[in-house]
Amino acid sequence: MQISNVATIFKKEITDTLRDRRTLIFMLLVPLVAIPGLMMGMSKLMISQISRVEQESSRVAVIGQEHLPEDLKAAISESSNLEVYYYVGSEEEEQTRALTEGEIDVLIVVPDSFATLIETEQPSTIAVKYDQAEIRSEKAEERLEKILQDYQDKLVLNRLTQRDISAGILEPFDIELEDVAPMQKLVGERLGAMLPYLIIIMCFMGAMYPAIDLAAGEKERGTLETLLISPATRGEFVIGKYLVIVTTSAIAALLSLGSLVFSMTYMVDQLVAQLGTMMTLELEPKTVLLVLLVILPLIGIFAGVLLSVSIFARSFKEAQSYITVLNMAIILPAFVSILPGFELDYTFAVIPVINVSMIMKEAIAGSILWHYVFVALLSNSVFAVLSLLFCRKWFERESVIFRM
Amino acid sequence: MIQVSALTKTFKDKKRGLVRAVDGVSFTCAPGEVYGLLGPNGAGKTTTLRLLSTALRPEAGTAVINGVDVSENPQKVRSQIGFLSGNTGLYGRLTPMEMVSYFGRLYGMNTSLIKERMDRIFSMLDMHSFAGRRCEKLSTGMKQKVSIARSVIHDPPAMIFDEPTTGLDVISSRTIVEFIRQCRKEGKTVIFSTHIMSEARRLCDKVGIIHKGKMYADGTIDEILTQAGCDNLEDAFIKIVGE
Repeated sequence: MQISNVATIFKKEITDTLRDRRTLIFMLLVPLVAIPGLMMGMSKLMISQISRVEQESSRVAVIGQEHLPEDLKAAISESSNLEVYYYVGSEEEEQTRALTEGEIDVLIVVPDSFATLIETEQPSTIAVKYDQAEIRSEKAEERLEKILQDYQDKLVLNRLTQRDISAGILEPFDIELEDVAPMQKLVGERLGAMLPYLIIIMCFMGAMYPAIDLAAGEKERGTLETLLISPATRGEFVIGKYLVIVTTSAIAALLSLGSLVFSMTYMVDQLVAQLGTMMTLELEPKTVLLVLLVILPLIGIFAGVLLSVSIFARSFKEAQSYITVLNMAIILPAFVSILPGFELDYTFAVIPVINVSMIMKEAIAGSILWHYVFVALLSNSVFAVLSLLFCRKWFERESVIFRM
Repeated sequence: MIQVSALTKTFKDKKRGLVRAVDGVSFTCAPGEVYGLLGPNGAGKTTTLRLLSTALRPEAGTAVINGVDVSENPQKVRSQIGFLSGNTGLYGRLTPMEMVSYFGRLYGMNTSLIKERMDRIFSMLDMHSFAGRRCEKLSTGMKQKVSIARSVIHDPPAMIFDEPTTGLDVISSRTIVEFIRQCRKEGKTVIFSTHIMSEARRLCDKVGIIHKGKMYADGTIDEILTQAGCDNLEDAFIKIVGE
């Protein structure tokens, strides 16, 4: 193995690769343009959806209004964000249909002599129908429930006062709840879960086209044979090509990480500014460094596997179809990190892709579990070396190189 | 000097089982000579040449190129030969200059030697006008010249041509034929495979007739014609392989 030969091969392949439009699209255009564009578009859409529901008044249908106590009726009809319509009892069925079809947002059915029952302090039930799958209906229910709750509190207070009992009797003591999860963790759980998934996919994408071009592409162009009969060894070619794939994948990952952090911060800022939600997304330099550390051996695995597949394929097209299947095998485990309820343990820490995605998710949520990080780094490095050795084996096999 | 004796190579084929693509082939070619391997498609020409170029490893028999055995020291054989086939391609996104100097470096040449050799070859083949353009933008003829330049950048004593004119137009074919003559004049040992009899007749000092992996006849063209009792190579070929 001569370093100078590897350097020659690397230099030529990186020049060639960086002139390939397809590689550039996945290495530069997707991370720098598509990701921020998508993220910002998404946040704009989210904000406009939420604020529209917030601003619009809810349509409330009331059946049996004549049974409502006067003060409750007033509270409902005077509420500024409710638009109230009254119907008679026989229209209940029709209004339920209107609710499911989204013509109204919430339906209240007041039982017969409700006001009298309240007056005489007898139990009764008021029905509130809504559609939880509809964000508008959920909002309407929330608004109405608040009014009903306030009214109920007022009634209780009145009844206690009439009996000369202090309101304090209802709450012998206060419970003070305090959430110790740092803000980082809350946001990390939600928004941050997407980050590992996206970065892993970008690593794969960044490696994909160079890998296809560097082996299957050589076969298709008819240049592979001229390489094989040059004095440089097959091992030198494999290392040189492998390093090019690692480089493009690492660039794609680095740019995606930067662009994702930037656009997610922007998204959070927008949400906070527009909606007043309490959330922050702060990535410490330590976290970013950890992400880069764990991603590197994973890139090593991707490069080895993709190059092996590529040298096996007879043509560019054939390599592409194998890699489409492989893509699914990468995306699905990466997706696991988004699912709640999956906790990192030693089994997961050994499995490539899953380990990286879970460690990254935890790190963004603010906790770095070093013993798992160590296991994952070790395991992924072993897999990366194995994939590289496998590549070399295939480059030396006549039946793979000259596959008919 | 290329000496081939009892060279053998078998392949596993899904449909046909074990196939002897090259079966005990022997011949010699001296410096300044052009040796033509003649045979129909699938005769074993390409496999023979791949064994000589060290792309494939022989199963039995030997091939010695400039005193180096392909089985014993393939690495050293590689710097002794230049290889060109009808379907070797180029790196479309590289320029002829980048492409040729890449191979120069792979053959262990230093920058100044590469520059000097490249300059000479580019002048000989009249390539300077397009040396800085990307290969994908070149015409077929220009591409062929880049391939030639690539194959001789390290000034090898032996040249192997595998059906070099297949798929080329008249003008590009002519460039190749001229180049083969040039190699002979420079005293290189040249091996050349073809299924076109007229091409063999024009270029070769000696020919070998190969069919189904076996060497049927080997000698000068006149010897072959006398042996077969025919007055043209095509008839002689048919008679010798007995079909």
